[in-house]
This record gives sequence, structure tokens and C-alpha cells, in this order.
Amino acid sequence: MGRVIVITSGKGGVGKTTASANIGVALANTGASVCLVDMDIGLRNLDILMGLENRVVYNLVDVVEERCKLRQALVKDKRMPNLNLLPAAQTRDKTAVDADQMKKLCEELKSMFDFVLIDSPAGIESGFQNAIAGAEEAIVITTPEMSAVRDADRIIGLLEARKDEITQYRLVLNRLRPKMVANADMMGVDDVLEILSIKLLGVVPEDEDIIISTNKGEPVSGTDNTRSGLAFRNIARRLRGEEVPFMDLDAKNDTWVTKIVNFFNPVRV
Amino acid sequence: MQQLIDWLFKVPNGTAAVTAKDRMRNMLVHDRLELPAGKLEVLEEELTAVVARYFDLEPDTTRFDLQQMDRKAALIANFRLVRSKC
Ligand SMILES: Nc1ncnc2c1ncn2[C@@H]1O[C@H](COP(=O)(O)OP(=O)(O)O)[C@@H](O)[C@H]1O
Ligand SMILES: [Mg+2]
Repeated sequence: MGRVIVITSGKGGVGKTTASANIGVALANTGASVCLVDMDIGLRNLDILMGLENRVVYNLVDVVEERCKLRQALVKDKRMPNLNLLPAAQTRDKTAVDADQMKKLCEELKSMFDFVLIDSPAGIESGFQNAIAGAEEAIVITTPEMSAVRDADRIIGLLEARKDEITQYRLVLNRLRPKMVANADMMGVDDVLEILSIKLLGVVPEDEDIIISTNKGEPVSGTDNTRSGLAFRNIARRLRGEEVPFMDLDAKNDTWVTKIVNFFNPVRV
Repeated sequence: MQQLIDWLFKVPNGTAAVTAKDRMRNMLVHDRLELPAGKLEVLEEELTAVVARYFDLEPDTTRFDLQQMDRKAALIANFRLVRSKC
């Protein structure tokens, strides 16, 4: 039986879809079989990030409403046959699938794949509730901005209330700008962790390569030599239970010695 | 060079990061308890009035502190008592 992991944030635009695509690719590269599920119904994005938008025939709502078999709706990634996408419907809305249907779908998917990653819509209403319905684990993603952290806190509260179903959740801090953190211009990893009292899964730096790779339809975690790609690969390894050390570089209350060290090695992923 | 020195010895107090963190802490205490703004201050006044019925309090020393412990809040009150009024 595979693991069903939902990627969620509360606030929109913080990197849920980017993280889903990249963690999916990174997990598939470790040899696991992976299914990415786009639960942002009505705002289909994940297919674009994966470069699979021209290959979508059926979608998740077609499966739920039995217009096609699950297998027919899955889009196989040409680069990696063990990576699959179940696309969202573009012309329907979040009410097209309910929590029970989602649970049933996740049951079926986890009998087929090692990892089922669910990309969720922004918000805390029905779309969010349906996206987490079949999940046993969650990845909460936020940026170090106050509004995003506040929304992440709401999400954590809602996940806590469902401890029986969602047995573990961890944080991915996205778009960290190490230089600004070093200058105390914005909150760093330790600040956000302390405020949210949550375990850390990974830190992804702000990185222009994300935008380039999105335009190419090739998630950064599939290519070497990008800091964000390495961050996502580390996240995938931690999900698989490997102990991957966090490079410690929050550079805040540091001595001048560590500041110099951090200066030459400026990111913690 | 001066810039480098400033950077090396910069003290984080009063910086944007510290301000953000303080504001966040305060905001999330209220969010998590679903506590409307201003209510805490009313409670503090009422609590002080009750304690003041039993004790003379040292002026301007009463402290209230809402602390977070693993996503739960604790209200810590500190009164300096001079003598009993009873
Ligand atoms: N680490 C990052 N560095 C730079 N840009 C990023 C990063 N993470 C996400 N982005 C950009 O932020 C935008 C929103 O990301 P997206 O994954 O669509 O968020 P969400 O799914 O939460 O709405 C996209 O344009 C994406 O390219
Ligand atoms: Mg999205």
C-alpha cells in the first residue's frame, strides 16, 4: 500500500503546485512509483508544470463520474514511466467531487502507487476539505511572509483537528531569501518553525530557475545544479525516511565567524 | 569596509524580522484562541481589580504575558503584593 500525501497551504501562490510537481519528480527519480493528483479543480495547473498539458484526455472528474476508467485518465510522464498525473477538470468547480468520492479514489490510487501526492486548492473550505479527505499525511507549505504564515497556522489547526486521519504533517518553507534573512529583513527558518511549532521537512530558496523550469515544463528537481532542485530532492529523500541533514544557515544571532562561513555557503535546504 | 563591519555586527533588535515575528506571535495567539482584539486587556483589568480587593498591589508592577507552549496558550499573570487587605 502506498502513502497518500496532500500538499496544502491555505494561501494561494505560495508554491503548492510547484512543490507537488518537484517532489513528484524527485520521488520518481528515487525509483518509487508516483501519482500526482491535481485537486485544484477548475484551475488546472499541474499538467503545465509537468509539461504534460497536451496529453490530457480525461480528468479526475471524469473518473469520479465514471465516464472513463482510472487508468485511462492517468497521463504517464514520457521521461519517467513511474510518474503519472491525474489531471484536474478545467471546466468544473470544486463541488464536482466530494469527500467520499475522494477517499474512494485515494484508496484505489494507493493500491497502484508507492506515493500519491495531492495538489490542493487555496482556501480552507470545501475544496481544501475534499483534497485532504483521502490523505494520511500532509505537507504544509508557506513562504516566510506574515500572511502566508498566518494561513498556514489555520491549516495546521484544521489538520490537528483531524489527527486520527492525518497522522503526520511537516512544513516546507518556500521562497526563502537567505540574504534578507541574514540582514534580519525577514523571518528565517527558525522563526517560522518556532511560531508554528511544526516539524521541518525542507527549505526551498527563492530561485529564478523555478520560473525557467516552469516555462520549459521540466521541474527543477529533475535537473542538477540548481539550489531549489537540490532542496526538493532532499525533501523527497526525507519523505522516504532518509536522514538528510539541514545545512544550518539562518545567520541571525550569529557570531562574526559563522557569518563569514554563512557568507560563503549561504543557504540551508 | 564600514558596510562590512556594520553587517558583521548588526544587532537584530528592532529589525523587520523581529517586528514580524513579534506581530506574528501576537496575531496567532488571538487566532488560535479565537480571541477578539481588546478582550485580553479587559480581562486583565478585571483580574487586577479582583486581586486588588484582597491585597494592596505595588503600583505599576502588574504583568500579563500570553505564552505559547506547543500551539497551546498560557496566560501568566504576575502581581506584586504589598500587604493583605483582609
Ligand atoms: N522557490 C521559488 N522561487 C521562485 N519562484 C517560485 C518559487 N516557488 C514558487 N514560485 C513561483 O510562485 C508562483 C506560484 O507558485 P504555485 O506553485 O503556482 O503556487 P500555488 O500552487 O500555491 O498557488 C509561480 O509563478 C511559481 O513559479
Ligand atoms: Mg496551485
